[in-house]
Formats: sequence, structure tokens, C-alpha cells
Amino acid sequence: MNANVYLPQLARIAHIKDEVGGARAIKTFRVEFLDGGGFEHECGQCAMISVFGKGESMISIASAPSIKDYKQFSIMRVGRVTAAIHDMQVGDVIGVRGPYGNRFPVADWKGRNLTFIGGGCGLAPIWPVIQTAVANRGDFGNITVFYGGRTSRDILYRAELEKLRGMADVHLSVDSPEEGWEGYCGFVPANIMDKPQSPENAIAITCGPPIMIKYVIGNLSAMGFADEQIYTTIENKMKCGVGKCGRCNVGKDYVCVKGPVYSWAELKGLPQEY
Amino acid sequence: MEAILQKDRLGQWVAQLSTRARVFAPAFVDDVWGYGPVETGAEVPLDHGNTTRPPKNFVFPQREVLYRFRVQDRHAPQITPTVPEPEPAVVFGVRPCDGRAMVRNDKVFTCGVVDPYYQARRDKVVFVGLACSAPPSPNCFCQSVGGSPHSEDGLDVLMTELEGRYHVKTLTARGLELLDAARSLFDDAGAADAGEVERAHAAARAYPQRTLASQEQVVDGLKRNFDSPKWAELARACIGCGACTYLCPSCHCFDINDEITGTSPLAGERVRTWDNCQFPDFTMHSSGHNPRDDTGSRLRQRVAHKLLYFVENHGIQQCTGCGRCITHCPVGIDIVRVTHEVAEV
Ligand SMILES: Cc1cc2nc3c(=O)[nH]c(=O)nc-3n(C[C@H](O)[C@H](O)[C@H](O)COP(=O)(O)OP(=O)(O)OC[C@H]3O[C@@H](n4cnc5c(N)ncnc54)[C@H](O)[C@@H]3O)c2cc1C
Ligand code: SF4
Ligand code: FES
Repeated sequence: MNANVYLPQLARIAHIKDEVGGARAIKTFRVEFLDGGGFEHECGQCAMISVFGKGESMISIASAPSIKDYKQFSIMRVGRVTAAIHDMQVGDVIGVRGPYGNRFPVADWKGRNLTFIGGGCGLAPIWPVIQTAVANRGDFGNITVFYGGRTSRDILYRAELEKLRGMADVHLSVDSPEEGWEGYCGFVPANIMDKPQSPENAIAITCGPPIMIKYVIGNLSAMGFADEQIYTTIENKMKCGVGKCGRCNVGKDYVCVKGPVYSWAELKGLPQEY
Repeated sequence: MEAILQKDRLGQWVAQLSTRARVFAPAFVDDVWGYGPVETGAEVPLDHGNTTRPPKNFVFPQREVLYRFRVQDRHAPQITPTVPEPEPAVVFGVRPCDGRAMVRNDKVFTCGVVDPYYQARRDKVVFVGLACSAPPSPNCFCQSVGGSPHSEDGLDVLMTELEGRYHVKTLTARGLELLDAARSLFDDAGAADAGEVERAHAAARAYPQRTLASQEQVVDGLKRNFDSPKWAELARACIGCGACTYLCPSCHCFDINDEITGTSPLAGERVRTWDNCQFPDFTMHSSGHNPRDDTGSRLRQRVAHKLLYFVENHGIQQCTGCGRCITHCPVGIDIVRVTHEVAEV
């Protein structure tokens, strides 16, 4: 761990995958640390990505903790830093500092049924949990993954999701009907109502646009999930990652330290400023 | 250790200290009362109200370069950290509320993960406090937030003005060093001096001050009325100028951005600058979604951070009652009044 918390380590972009096109394109970057650098992380943690000359952005670490040789980030092009990294090529070097934030308590979920519900870029933060769960398949009960994109071209990790079938029940959706689409048509919250999940011995993990999360949680509650059985992550603007700059402050919490992972029970105790 | 310094020897003490450190005192800099270096031989102006700018800059400057970068080769950017190596500094005339604010800043920057930039500056600065003999501003309320006109928290030395002389009390080892540097200038403090100090402090405490309800009442009241419609009402006039937080001795929020200094090769600095929870952009996501999108929620953030969240996290209020945010708000938003109205205390 670097003693100077603001200094990034250098990492080389080893692979870039185009996930989703359009104005808010998503690409997945695999980066390898230079000079034997790097750090361990846990499911749900994030890292601050630097493009020198542009600035920094907090991004969820989308690769499983068990992968030590590289880290993966799925980044949506929305502004200055994210556009700059989208314009980079394999071999280019970025800065990475972290890991930041708390983690999903995956170890506590052994023996339980896991239902993942993601939308848009929100699959990235929960992907390490899905990877960890399927890699240790015997440790968990049923694994179910709901994921929706606006259209079939907006589906993150399409090929990987297909590969999950067999290990997990995968229910993909697109917002409106499309030629050739065989999955569900409609919003993610409706898709889960269509295939109700039993709260018995279950944990639900959801991540996506705030509006989706809101309806998903409402629907899970209607299915009988207790607040303690529902987990999500929140995204507040972040600058330092270490509880000093105050940007991510919600109630008494600095989300970069206490979050971004919260159970719905915990989140209800915070002001609705996320 | 306690000693007496005749007023006409203050200049000599400062001259002595100048040989080992840069000495600062309240000064009118850039049209504002803040702190400036004391020229050798010049008067040390200690007979003023409190400064407009707090001494926060000594440990947390408004702009700080975190590191420089240079990208000659896209495959090998160079990074040069710029952790400061400041010269030792002695700051005179620090008021007790601002001393207490340092204790709060220390909690933010040095508890848990240590901020190396803050720490480097903090290690090199010694604060010589000046007890208030009267409230320096009509908006002072230090005594309702656990302080007093002669609080010693966060200071290395406390000076109390007496007739023709100062009573000088060292509070830390670093404070003692300042005295030891010029022992011969000081007289021993006797029992009579002690009595006079006690009377001066008591007189200062007895001056009428504004009052804020107790920490417990405020915490309870803010929790009970967290969703009060009064936040929006009371914040309606806010123009989001940020004066309240920039002038606050304990506000610590900052932004981090890149500033380019050269383009071929690309070179620049990663810079942190004070930031401000009263700005709408502070919390706005790139998507346009803004978790605190009105002045009411932003005022609540400022007040609740000072008087509720900080208490929940550190057991003490972050506000030290200097009154600057009240005095300098162009539209008269008043943390004491807002707290009382919202918290219904
Ligand atoms: C915990 C967490 C996890 C995240 N995970 C992911 C992820 O996995 N994938 C992903 O794609 N995104 C993720 N995000 C969101 C991501 O951090 C933002 O989309 C990203 O920081 C946007 O940066 P930008 O430079 O592209 O956008 P910009 O909007 O250009 O902002 C860049 C910076 O410039 C400054 N700036 C620019 N415009 C303004 C303005 N109007 N007002 C104030 N300041 C401005 C700010 O300092 C800002 O931080 C996550 C966020 C958090 C908090
Ligand atoms: S000083 Fe007053 S007007 Fe300016 S941001 Fe603060 S409360 Fe609003
Ligand atoms: S990002 Fe700075 S305090 Fe959380």
C-alpha cells in the first residue's frame, strides 16, 4: 500500500473490449500493473482511475478478487475522464489507486440462494460477486441473474452472461420488443415480478440506475424480502476515496469508506441523498 | 510553563523566533484580514478582531499540488510527488475558536488514513494563541459549542493580554521550545499574575455572546426535524457563493483536478483545491442526477455536518462558534438561527 494515498500506481491497458455502442458507450478495460505493483481487492470495492491531464474517476473493480494478474473495469463514456479513457489504446498507461470502499459480505452468504438484479452499467459492481459465486458453486443455493439493457445492443457482458447458463438461471430483458429477441421485454423490475423469487434463505443484490433500484427494491419487499436481505450499491460523486474530501458524504457516512455497498436496512438509515 | 512578557519585548521575541522559523501574524493581505509574514523589527499587530480568513491555510492551503505528471511516452508517464517540505512556521494571534478548529481538522486529515500533505504542514507549524478579551465579533458563540475565549485546545501557546504585558502559557513541547528560544526576555509569572489572568478570563467569559442550544438538544432536534420544510424556506435566499464554507476554520472539503502546464510533451499538475458543499455541482453526477439539488438540502448538509454528523462520528461538534459564516453571508443566513428554527430548540 502506497503511503501517499493520492499517488496512483501505473497500469497498462492490456485489453479493451467494446461492450455497448452509442453516445453512452461502455468498454471493458483489462489493466496490468507496471513494476510489480497492484493490490488485492474484495467484491464490491472500487478504484480511482487516472488519465493524466484529464483527472480521476471512481470505477468499480469488475474482475473477481481471485484474479491477481489484472483488474478489469467497465466504463461508460459520460464525461471528461471516461471519454479520455475510451479514446485510449492497448499499451497506454493509466493510473490506478485503491482499493476503496467496503465489500459485499459474500462469505456470510454461504448456503443461501442469491438473486442478482442488474441494469445498464450496474452489472459491473456485482459481477465479481457473480463470478465468485459460480466459481464456488457448491457453496451457494440457487443463483439467479436478472439483467436488462435498453436494447439488445445495450447488454453488458453478453457472451459471459450466456456462459453462465447452466450454473445460474439467467433472465435477460430489453426495455421494448425487438425483432429476434427471445428474452423478456420490459423493464427489469417488471421482469422480476414476472418470475417471483422466494425470500426463503435468500439474498438479493441489485445495482443499476437509481430509478431501477428504487422499483426493484419495492418489488423485492412485496415478494417478502426483508430489508436485511437486500443489498445494493450507491454512487456518490467522489474525489479522494479516503473520507477526506467530503464529496461523497451522506449523513454521517463517507460512502467511499462506509459504502458503496449497503443493505437496504442500512441505507434506510441514511438521508436520501444518493 | 507560564511566564510574563512585557509588551515592548514582543518584537524581540519575534525577532528571536525569526532566526529559526517564519513568523506570521494577523495582517491585511489582498484586502482581507488574514495572516501574513512579520517583517523583522515590525510591530506585531495583536490588537485587532479575529481575522476574516482563518489560519486553516497553514495546514490546508486553498490550492495544493499533489504531484506533477509528465507524459513524454504514453507507455510510461512520470509522476513526481510534491509533498511539501515547509519551513517551520510560528503563527501569532490565533484565536481560541480557530485553535479548536485545528483539533477538528486533525481528526479529518490524520485519523485513520493520514493525509501526507496536511501532516507535513501540520508538523511544521506552531500556533501561538491569543485569548479574547472581548468577543471579537458580534456573531461569536464559542461558549455554546464547548469553547471559551481562552480555550487552549489545538494551540501550542496561549497568550493573555494583561496591563502592559502578556501572560504566556505553553501548552505543548513545541510551545515550550518557543519560550526556551528567548528565555531571557521573559519574567517569571507570580501569584499576582495568575490572579489577573483569572480575572481577565472571567471578564471575557462574562461578555454577552450569542448562544446556541446545547450539543444534545441540537443533535436531537436536528434528527427529529431532519426533513423539516424549514430548510428550504431558510435557504431560499442562498446564492451559493460559498463564503460560509471558504471562511470556515473547519470546513475541509476539496476537489481534485488536473491543470496542464505543457502540451508537448503533456505535463501538468494534479491539484487539490478547497471545495464547497453549497455549490450545486458539488454532488451532481455526470448524468445530471443531483442528490442535493436545492439550496435547502445544501444548507442542511452544511449545518448537519457541523452539528450532527461530526458529533456522530467524532463525539464533538465541528463548529467552534467563530461566527464568520454569519458575518460574511451576503444574504444573512445565520447558522445559529437556522439551527434553532429547524431543530425547534
Ligand atoms: C463507487 C462508484 C463506482 C462507480 N463505478 C463505475 C463503473 O464501474 N463504471 C462506470 O462507468 N462508472 C462508474 N462510476 C461513475 C463514474 O465515477 C463517473 O461516471 C465518472 O467519474 C465521470 O467522470 P467523467 O470525467 O467522465 O465525467 P465529468 O462529468 O466530465 O466529470 C469529471 C470531473 O470533472 C469535474 N467536472 C466536470 N464537469 C463538472 C461539473 N459540471 N461540475 C462539477 N465538476 C465537474 C469533476 O471534478 C468531475 O469529477 C462509479 C462511481 C462511484 C462513486
Ligand atoms: S455565504 Fe450565505 S449565500 Fe453564500 S453559500 Fe453560504 S449560506 Fe449561501
Ligand atoms: S470521496 Fe472524498 S470523502 Fe469520499
